[in-house]
Amino acid sequence: MSDTTGTVEAPQPGRYSVPGPPPRPRSQLVGTGFAIAAGAMAVAGALGHYMARRHASGIDPGHDWLAGQSVPNPQLVYALITLLVSVVTAHWAVWASGRDERGHTWVGMALTLVMGLAFFNMVMFSLNRMELEIGSGEWATLAYAVTGLSLAILIVGMFYLGLMTLRSLGGSVGRDRSTPLGAAVFFWDFAVLAWAATWYVVYVVK
Amino acid sequence: MTDATTEATHSGGSAGAVPAEDPTAFGWLNTADHKRIGRLFIACSLLFALAGAVADLLVRFDLASSSDHTVLNADSFVQVFTFTRDALVFGMLIPLFLGIAIYVVPLQVGAPNVAFGRAAALSFWGWLVSAGVLVGAYIANGGPGGGFSDGVDLHLLALAGLVISLLTGAICVAVTTLTMRAPGMYMDRTPPFAWSALVTASMLVVSLGVVLGQIVILYIEHRYGPRFLGGNYGIWSRIDWMYRTPQLFIYVVPVLGVVAEIMLAAARRWVFEPLALYFTMGLVGLFGFGAWANFGITNEGTDIVDGLEGIVLVGLYAGALAGVSGLLALLGFTLWQSRNRPRPRSGAVSLTRPNTAVVAAFGAGTLIAVAALVGLIGAGVDWLQIAGRGTDGNAPLRFTTWVTGQQSLLIYGAGLLGALAALHWWAPKIWGRRLSELAGFASLLAIGGGALLAWLGPTLSGVFTEQPQFVYGAPLLTTRYASQVDDSGAEGLSALGAVGVVIVLVGVALVVLNLLVSVAMRKGAETEADPWDGLTPEWLLPSPPPLGPAAALPELTSGTPLLDAELNGNGLNGTGAAAERDAEEVPA
Repeated sequence: MSDTTGTVEAPQPGRYSVPGPPPRPRSQLVGTGFAIAAGAMAVAGALGHYMARRHASGIDPGHDWLAGQSVPNPQLVYALITLLVSVVTAHWAVWASGRDERGHTWVGMALTLVMGLAFFNMVMFSLNRMELEIGSGEWATLAYAVTGLSLAILIVGMFYLGLMTLRSLGGSVGRDRSTPLGAAVFFWDFAVLAWAATWYVVYVVK
Repeated sequence: MTDATTEATHSGGSAGAVPAEDPTAFGWLNTADHKRIGRLFIACSLLFALAGAVADLLVRFDLASSSDHTVLNADSFVQVFTFTRDALVFGMLIPLFLGIAIYVVPLQVGAPNVAFGRAAALSFWGWLVSAGVLVGAYIANGGPGGGFSDGVDLHLLALAGLVISLLTGAICVAVTTLTMRAPGMYMDRTPPFAWSALVTASMLVVSLGVVLGQIVILYIEHRYGPRFLGGNYGIWSRIDWMYRTPQLFIYVVPVLGVVAEIMLAAARRWVFEPLALYFTMGLVGLFGFGAWANFGITNEGTDIVDGLEGIVLVGLYAGALAGVSGLLALLGFTLWQSRNRPRPRSGAVSLTRPNTAVVAAFGAGTLIAVAALVGLIGAGVDWLQIAGRGTDGNAPLRFTTWVTGQQSLLIYGAGLLGALAALHWWAPKIWGRRLSELAGFASLLAIGGGALLAWLGPTLSGVFTEQPQFVYGAPLLTTRYASQVDDSGAEGLSALGAVGVVIVLVGVALVVLNLLVSVAMRKGAETEADPWDGLTPEWLLPSPPPLGPAAALPELTSGTPLLDAELNGNGLNGTGAAAERDAEEVPA
């Protein structure tokens, strides 16, 4: 019998047959899918709580508790459109990666990341313009919490995209090696969808 | 190694040296090996079991006292009460089975390691650090109802850390089962425990995600906002669904996997319909989704859910009961089918030669069924109240210590007995040694008997005295509790529950002692690769398997290769069910 921590005994002959690891198809993609499921439930839980509080806020929910705040809709719509375009460029990168088009892959990812940064710039501008003060009221606090959760998911998505972009720069392109990049883009799709849901509930329906 | 399995195993393949992991303490710190991570989870979560039971004991002693808060004062009562649930669920129940799954599942599916080994290690260390911070927050007068505001914030952050860490570990286990199975081992041939781990991990992902969103809102509200959710007294009502039924059923699905593994090994027979096995376990997980039962949220829009809540709860318990009873019936039928089957060798586990693992598995499965049945009855009664029929002004059972009884039944009873069965069953594979059967039976009796008392006391108190389990959002808990306890005589029933917890505590201490003596002090008997005549693939490997990735992996096309080998003599092809049928078709 082998020691639990020290010397390692070789597997018993005859008990093993296939040398080398088995194929592990799409582990990262499936893992990303589970992370998306958890993130989706977190956003849904937070939005559900927001809606429940909104429903209980007064006779005219959505107006009573805004306390005179005005939402800069044009800027937030432009921010959402920017994100939607970034989804297109992200999928362009994955498409190009599967065909071993490195130039297109990197341009696609660079555009995605730049548009992600532009989105954050626009959202920060909008929030500053609203002069939304955390703790100033129930709506402001809930809006901060839910918006912050969605933005955190987008930041994680940006890091994930950046990491997989660096990996593709290192040579992970081609039909069989694009799955990690595809997984990152899959997460980015979810992050954009989560933001769209948050934007609609908090800033359109209010 | 049995002759049958020797013949069954394919020959060939390299059996070269396996790279060893660093045997020093530093090796444990930076390991990404599923065997070490699993052991770390198991050891640390057992310590939390002790801590949680001690805290529970303080709460129950306090409730058993005829005078106000003799053990704990009003504030610390709330904190110790909530800490008990944190420690028993997030400190013990989830991580204990997560640790067992991280160890066993890769071996069962023929994977070299758990998926994302570094993430699994991060899951353990994140969980440990978060749990430490949680304890620190409570010590600093934080936690729900705590008087130190920063401590309350710290508690929420620690809780978020616990959730994220356990989610990470759950994702690793789920991905291992889904994508790292040996080629040819399809999902409908997966070993029962691996399947149960997949079900639990998937349901944890979708349910703990919800609470993460809640924690974000609670943190922002408590730290910055106007306290429109009730501040530190509003926290518990919004997160306590994680610690009560039906959500608790999700956490004990792996127990059903353990029960199936052991019962099928005792029967030395595969179930006649494998899909029913997987379906019933999935049903329990699916109907255990507890976020629907979130009274703290639904109460904020009561008219939205008017009456619906009761129907949903009855449906959830009915579904869970259907799943558990279906599975137990399936396993019972399989045991009955194999009643006259000769045992292949004397060391094999069977119902006629029961050991700790078999009896504990039987007890755990039965207690889950009882919990589902009792839960269904309670939900039915509450439904009548919600719907306005049969109401007599009584408090709904879900607000009384009835809930504490359910928690005791599932956490102490099913959870700890299931863990005891799993530890005794897989101890040879995890540590290379058997645990003491004498200590095992003693701990089994203590945990089983104690859990029954810990269930009966608060359940009867909830039914007959309407003793509140927890008064949501009320700072003056003392008065409310005192009026209930003193006037109704509930202290006697609370004392019964407290005695049960004392006995459970003795049982858990015996488990820890057994592990220390048998494993750490190496007093347990060393074992061969397959001491029980198990069915599933991990029993093909040495006990314990070497650390680090295997040089070569088993060729598997079934979750029960050893049964296939025994029945059709050519081993690792075909499912157990198919081999079973083949064997029966051959005339004597």
